[in-house]
Parts: sequence; C-alpha cells; structure tokens
Amino acid sequence: MKEKRRLDRREFMSIATFGIGGLISAIMGIPAIAYILGPVLRKTETEEWIRLGSVSKVELGVPTLFKAKLERQTGWIITEKELSVYILTDNGRDFVAMSNLCTHLGCRVRWIGDQETFFCPCHNASFDQAGEVLDGPPPAPLDRFEVKVEEDQIYVFGG
Amino acid sequence: MAAKLGDWLDERLAWRQVWETIFLRNIPKVNWWYTLGSATLFLGINQLVTGILLTIYYVPTPDHAYDSVHYITTQVPAGWLIRGLHHWGASAMVVFTAIHMLRVIMQGAYKFPREVTWFTGVGLLVVVVGFGFTGYLLPWDQKAYWATQVGTRIAGTPPLIGDWVLEVVRGGEDISAVTLARFFGAHVWIFPAALLLLISVHMYLVVRHGISAPPNREE
Repeated sequence: MKEKRRLDRREFMSIATFGIGGLISAIMGIPAIAYILGPVLRKTETEEWIRLGSVSKVELGVPTLFKAKLERQTGWIITEKELSVYILTDNGRDFVAMSNLCTHLGCRVRWIGDQETFFCPCHNASFDQAGEVLDGPPPAPLDRFEVKVEEDQIYVFGG
Repeated sequence: MAAKLGDWLDERLAWRQVWETIFLRNIPKVNWWYTLGSATLFLGINQLVTGILLTIYYVPTPDHAYDSVHYITTQVPAGWLIRGLHHWGASAMVVFTAIHMLRVIMQGAYKFPREVTWFTGVGLLVVVVGFGFTGYLLPWDQKAYWATQVGTRIAGTPPLIGDWVLEVVRGGEDISAVTLARFFGAHVWIFPAALLLLISVHMYLVVRHGISAPPNREE
C-alpha cells in the first residue's frame, strides 16, 4: 500500500514563504521589465505626409528647395527638426522629391544652377538634376520621397 | 543536479551554515509586533529597487526634473506603478520604522546586550527621515519647493550656526539648481551608503544576539 506523505509544518511554511516571495518578485519584476524597455518599444520616428508649400514655387526643370519644420518628441523633450527637400518637375504635373542629404556621409548638397549639378562640399561629390551620381564617393543616388499634390500644395511622405 | 551544485558550493562557501545561522535560528515565542523590523526591511528593499528604476528616467535639474517625473508617470509603461510604490513606500517606511522603534522601547528590547543594535537603529531612523526630506524635493513641483523652503528654514533656526547651516543645506542663499542637485546626490548616494552600512551592523547584531523574549512579569 502506498503511504501518503503529509506535509509537516516546517515544510508548509517554507513552501509558503518561497511561494509568496516569488509571487511578490514577479508582481514587481514584470512591470520593471516593461518600465525599462518602454521607450525602446515605442515608435518615435513616425512617418507622415508633410506639407512643403505651393506648387507655383517650383520652376520647370530646376530643382527647387523646400524646407519644412517638424516637431519631434524624444522622452519629455520636444525638438524642432528641419526637413529640406528638392522638388523637380519637367512638366508641372509629375514631381520628384529628393533629399538634400548626400548618400555618402550625410552632408547637405546644394543645387548649383550654372553647372546644373548638386554639389556636396564635403568630398566634392556631384549629382545630376535627377539625383544620379556624377562624380565622387557617394554609393547611391539621392534618396527620394513619395510625393503628392493636393489643392496646389506639395506633400512628401517622410519623418 | 541542484543538490550536487549545492554540495559543491557548500564545500567551498559553507553557505548552508550561513543560511542556518540567519534563517533557521531559534526564536522565543513572539507575536506579530516582532515582524515590524522585517516589514521595514522589505519596504527598504522596495525603495531600493524602485528608486534605482526611477533614476533611469529622472533628471535632477530645474529644467528637466518636473518634466521627467511627469514623463515617468504618464508615458513610461508601469511608470505610475514604480513611482507610486516609491512614493507610498517612503511614507510607509517612516511609519514602520517608528512603530518598530516603539515596540523596542515598550518591551525594553534595547537593554543589555542589545544597546548597539539600538544605537544603529536610531541612526537608521535619522537616515530614513533624511531620505524622506531629500526625496520630497526631487519632483520639483510647488509642494516640493515650498516644503523644502520651510524645511531648510527650520534647519537654519539654531543660534549662531543657523545661517551657515541654512546655506550649506541649500548650497547657497536660495533654493536653486544647486539645492536640487545636492538633495539628489544625498538621496541616491550618501543616505543609501549610510543605510547599507547601518543595516549591516543592525542585522548582524540581531542575528548575533537573537531577538529578545517579551518581558515576563514573573521573572
């Protein structure tokens, strides 16, 4: 016959102590992990449609610079960040939006009207009107934004 | 497997002896009032853990203190809980320390050979109150500012040295960024160091002497 093993008082207290202790640790430990990881899990760089300005400012065949101010919150600090975009159109209907950041190391490129190139002052790189690399170290053409026109206003999708 | 590892460690650390000395020691027949020291210790551990977690986000400068506390409470997951535990735990700690002390007085548990346990206990009470006073300023809201205005003024009331004490506590004539920074430094470095030191001695002595039996009329 199988003998029933009874829990003595000491064993019961020991199990209860560790059980309750473990429970309290879990109740405090799990929120603590969420607390530490919170800002990591939160998406801060949200992309959205950003209004740049009126279509009428864009000259045909010449990349035109638009600037937009964006508010970004990191932790409890709100900072303003400037987004600069070159808009190019050949027919006034189809638009191309290019970032002004050089794809090499992120310096700001500038449109040089008489040479018809984007020029990056950091390592003398140049890009053509459409953003393709002409000369220098950049590994890729200028980044492009999705672009749309609504009620004569130009919008790009970015953040 | 676990038993084997336990034996291996025991041969090298003698941890079973330590465990038995601390947790399996004999105690006299006592009542619930004797759990107050352990309760205070538990609250202290709660304050330590939640306090460390709060420093991950809190910034002790006048332009960020209030906003970072607000951020913890409203934006960080479980931030309200961690801050709440620290806030209420702080009040509970003062209350429990005081009741624990009253129990020791009423039952005469401070008598020979436990005087030094009592001395360190008095030191711990001062440290707990110091924690409360310095921690109160850190949220940097109106209540914190004016409470510290009043509290530091009280520190400035002794004759002769009062003005000097007031300036040392505030780090200048007025409550400023310097005051906030030094209160923070005291709260997270000076008082915790003092607390750990005093608790170590206090608890060593509790284990060394055992706890005193309730006084008996017939003895």
